[in-house]
Amino acid sequence: MLQKVSAFILLLLVWIIFAGRITIDVLIVGSGASLLVTLFLSDMLFREVKRELPWYHYLRKFFLLLLFIPIFFYEAILSALKVSKHVFEKEPSFNPGIVKVKTELTDITGLSVLANLITLTPGTLTLDYDRTEQSYYIHWIDVETLEQAEMKQKIIARFEKWIGVIFR
Amino acid sequence: MIRLIIAYFLMFSGAGFALITVIGLLRFPDVYTRIHAGAVVLTISAVLVTLGTAVYVWEFFLSAKIILIGVFFLFSNPMATHAIARASYHREVALPKEYAIDAYSEYLGRDYDDSNSSS
Repeated sequence: MLQKVSAFILLLLVWIIFAGRITIDVLIVGSGASLLVTLFLSDMLFREVKRELPWYHYLRKFFLLLLFIPIFFYEAILSALKVSKHVFEKEPSFNPGIVKVKTELTDITGLSVLANLITLTPGTLTLDYDRTEQSYYIHWIDVETLEQAEMKQKIIARFEKWIGVIFR
Repeated sequence: MIRLIIAYFLMFSGAGFALITVIGLLRFPDVYTRIHAGAVVLTISAVLVTLGTAVYVWEFFLSAKIILIGVFFLFSNPMATHAIARASYHREVALPKEYAIDAYSEYLGRDYDDSNSSS
């Protein structure tokens, strides 16, 4: 029930933003459309939480999520500059390769969000996730090291600690 | 006035990153590195341009709409990038035969070391 209500409210907010004004006809048509989508697809938007946590935990997670957005853009701009540096070299002098990086996350939402964040950062690209060995296969544009811990430090550690706290 | 300067700064830096992407797409050697160059344009450039436009119009609903479009860019970009790269590896469209480090072919149980056996 809670997931249906939250999905409905989120969809209605998106509808109002796209409509651009709050009038009675926008609200009627929007709630009809949101209700249809909610009835069919609400279990794809939000999952039921198994464990019960006190409410301020979710508030803290939401706050951390907001705090994570500027940090992500800072990291993304840094690595975009690193890729752009390769563009202007006379002979592109990098060493591309596909490396295997272990992760400690177990929650499936956190895993997929972390994979998307790795792909979103320029310079690294998730190819696959191995469930039995709990490791990502990452295409890295410039393989600097083959040491497992150092590799992990350079690619995923900057996001993994945030994601591990937020989606747990 | 300051708002316009910030908006133009964001838009022009986004356009600069887009230009870098085009040069990178032309200059990089193989499929996967070109995908990396293309990832720059959607994460940095599109978000900077949408943020600049949102600052430029500076009206609540219009800016919220434009920022929502930027968020949709951020959602759709990694899935498309990942799908293209993984499909081109799995369907053997473009295999990274010259890579020194390739852990993924061991995972798939393939061996590309002898290039003459592919005929």
